[in-house]
Amino acid sequence: MSDILVIKELHAGYGEGDILKGIDITLPAGRVVTIIGPNGSGKSTLLKTLAGLLLARRGDIVLKEQSLRDLSPPRRVRAGLSYVPQEYNIFRNLTVLENLKIAREFMADRKMRGGTAISDELIELFPELPGKFKARAGNLSGGQRQMLAFACALTVHPEVLMLDEPSAGLSPKYMTDIFDTVKKVNARGVSVLMVEQNAIEALRISDTCVVMANGHVRLTALANQVLEMKDLHSLYLGDAKEEAVAS
Amino acid sequence: MISFLILISTVVCFSAILALALNFQWGLGGMVNFGMAGLYALGTYSCALLMLKGGANTFFATLGAMAIVAAACGVIALVTLRVTEEDYFAIVTLGVGEMLRLVALNEDWLTKGALGLTGIPRPLGDVIAPEYYQYFLLGLSVALLAGTVWFLNVIARSPFGRIMRALREDDVVAATLGKHVLWARVRIFAIGGAIIGLAGSLHGFYYQYIDPTQFSNIVIAYAFMAVIAGGRGAHQGVIWGAAVVMVLLEGSRFMKDLIPVLDSDQLAAIRIIIIGIGLILLLVFRPQGFMREYRLQVNFK
Amino acid sequence: MLQTAFNGLVTGIIVTLPALAVTLLFGVLKFPNFAVGSMMTLAAYLVFALNVQLGWPLVISTAVVAVAFGGLLIAIDYVTFKPLRERGSITLMVASLGLGFVLENIARLAYGNTARSFAIELARPFRFLDIRMNREQMITIVVSTLAMLAMYFLLTRMPIGRAMRAVADNPALALVRGIESPRIIRWTWFIAGMLLAVGGVLIGMDRALEPPMGSSYLVAVFAAAILGGLGSPLGAFIGALVIGIVSELATLVIPPNYRIGIPLCVIALILIFRPQGLFGQPYIRK
Repeated sequence: MSDILVIKELHAGYGEGDILKGIDITLPAGRVVTIIGPNGSGKSTLLKTLAGLLLARRGDIVLKEQSLRDLSPPRRVRAGLSYVPQEYNIFRNLTVLENLKIAREFMADRKMRGGTAISDELIELFPELPGKFKARAGNLSGGQRQMLAFACALTVHPEVLMLDEPSAGLSPKYMTDIFDTVKKVNARGVSVLMVEQNAIEALRISDTCVVMANGHVRLTALANQVLEMKDLHSLYLGDAKEEAVAS
Repeated sequence: MISFLILISTVVCFSAILALALNFQWGLGGMVNFGMAGLYALGTYSCALLMLKGGANTFFATLGAMAIVAAACGVIALVTLRVTEEDYFAIVTLGVGEMLRLVALNEDWLTKGALGLTGIPRPLGDVIAPEYYQYFLLGLSVALLAGTVWFLNVIARSPFGRIMRALREDDVVAATLGKHVLWARVRIFAIGGAIIGLAGSLHGFYYQYIDPTQFSNIVIAYAFMAVIAGGRGAHQGVIWGAAVVMVLLEGSRFMKDLIPVLDSDQLAAIRIIIIGIGLILLLVFRPQGFMREYRLQVNFK
Repeated sequence: MLQTAFNGLVTGIIVTLPALAVTLLFGVLKFPNFAVGSMMTLAAYLVFALNVQLGWPLVISTAVVAVAFGGLLIAIDYVTFKPLRERGSITLMVASLGLGFVLENIARLAYGNTARSFAIELARPFRFLDIRMNREQMITIVVSTLAMLAMYFLLTRMPIGRAMRAVADNPALALVRGIESPRIIRWTWFIAGMLLAVGGVLIGMDRALEPPMGSSYLVAVFAAAILGGLGSPLGAFIGALVIGIVSELATLVIPPNYRIGIPLCVIALILIFRPQGLFGQPYIRK
């Protein structure tokens, strides 16, 4: 099987010092990879660097044989990498429909610019949204916002979808919905790279689990193997303690 | 020539004091004063009017002017207490400056409007013979400049100054102290205001005649240029910056002799265009960037 | 009273176009641009050159200058603000101040300090519902309303307008949604340039062409934009009307020379009681 996204020896950070100290992760086509790890381990920073919001200082990011390293964030989207940030992931002053339209309008591909952003497929995945099209996105509930952000990222038909803690701050109902949706999206052929705190829920729908701590990859394993570990919690909480002692 | 050098050195002194005030408000308090011109006018007019209408002597008039500008600055900082966004602060100071200049222009009964005030008394003006007066005024200006630098250094090294620096560099500390930060901002802005008042008083002593046109927004450009050209926010740098800017400006008055076809309005316009372009060029080509420069550098010995 | 309110409405309407330009520029570029006043002045003098010196009709002169001025602002941005983009809003504000000096004094250098006016024949004021209005006021109302409708259409119905709102709302998200911000910035300058050019002509018609004509509106323009919540186009429109009417009514009580004090007080009150403006949302910086 081919790898759709390959992250090689990636270094990145803010100011002096790196937060990511050489990350190697591969995402096989059509799979779900979930990254878990304690706070401050660099998970969100990794996604930001992949999306292009933060400059990679060393290493490379390769999507379908194409290096993304020197591409601007919009070009990475066009290359097929779509990203849902954890917070501020919708345009609050735009309506739901405007949010959904906006990404496609600026795709270089003319074919994609035409047609409707709101495919039947999208409505099937997010049945709650059509009723809210005219609403200001900022007035949606937390769960609806997350769904909207998710849907926006899909309007550009990405090859790889990156989700930063999609279940953060959601009610249990929405949490289940979100993970179900991730599963459905994946079933339609989109590869998913996800950062999650709710490790158990996330790993149930994942193929591979990557554990990050302190800017390094500590472990890469099959998701169901990790799920079978009895001391799953101690796996990443343990690292957190270790770091607290170390720092 | 000597006489010209002495006059220009005096101008450099009070311009440097003004630039130091900006450097202090901006560097230590993070508050950018775009109302410089109006506040400077407030200082000059207050000092002159306290003498001409209030009958105060030069010393108390200067103190009064410093207190008045300090109070005005304090009010500005108070009104904007809840707004830590520098954008809004800049707009408010710009508006206040504009308003103050309008008062100077329109309140004929007080400021004689566009005619301006004449016959402003000078410190010890009736004791010192006129031919020596320019030397005395230069000495006084140098002394006050030195005093200002000394005073600002004392503040920067005081516990208050150290707290302010810590606040500026550490958001967590700032968030923890909350209200104290806001009051500190008021105090810094007011102290800066007092220094503007001092510079304004010297301006009046030097020219002995003031009118609203002396306080156009171009004053802000001078002050900013001095601070930026001086770089790094160090006091000496700002003084050198002010010196370079003022010498160039005063020197450019001789352009008139070089290009006789232009009338005085056009020459004034060309000078301001050059200042504006110079300001932008300084900003673009200062490789250190702006954020570093404005930090107040203090050497602990 | 009614007459004063009407005059205030017209004053407010004059402020709407520059206030909208300010709010768009602030939304997309995240700094208050102090050069907008001088930009209006320069644009008005360019129209003067075509209208009076070349004898073109005012409407055509304005249209030509509006488009050219939009282009000019893109060029100006390229040499002044673009190199400073990453340096924080204070640097950009200071640069805009310097730019303002340059633009205003280019107009002064070319045309001096004498007041001038456009070549339009005088028309007799007429009365409507007991309100005396002149043709310039009518033109101001009609032109501004049309421009506002066009802006509304642009911002809500056209991809580029939506993208401008998106960048104003959340610049980082706009990037990861595939919106090329340099392109949006160019469009924003272009549209702001057109608004400022038309605004400058309206001011020149209302009073006279003088080098400080634009900057004298600066505080009122910013008050309107802040009242509406910086970055909110609809807010800027309503803010401008409120500021205009309130300042004009206030001249019944205070000397007209201090009209500028009213917007200033409005800014102060907003900052004390409702820092996000009447319609604004607290915005996110990068």
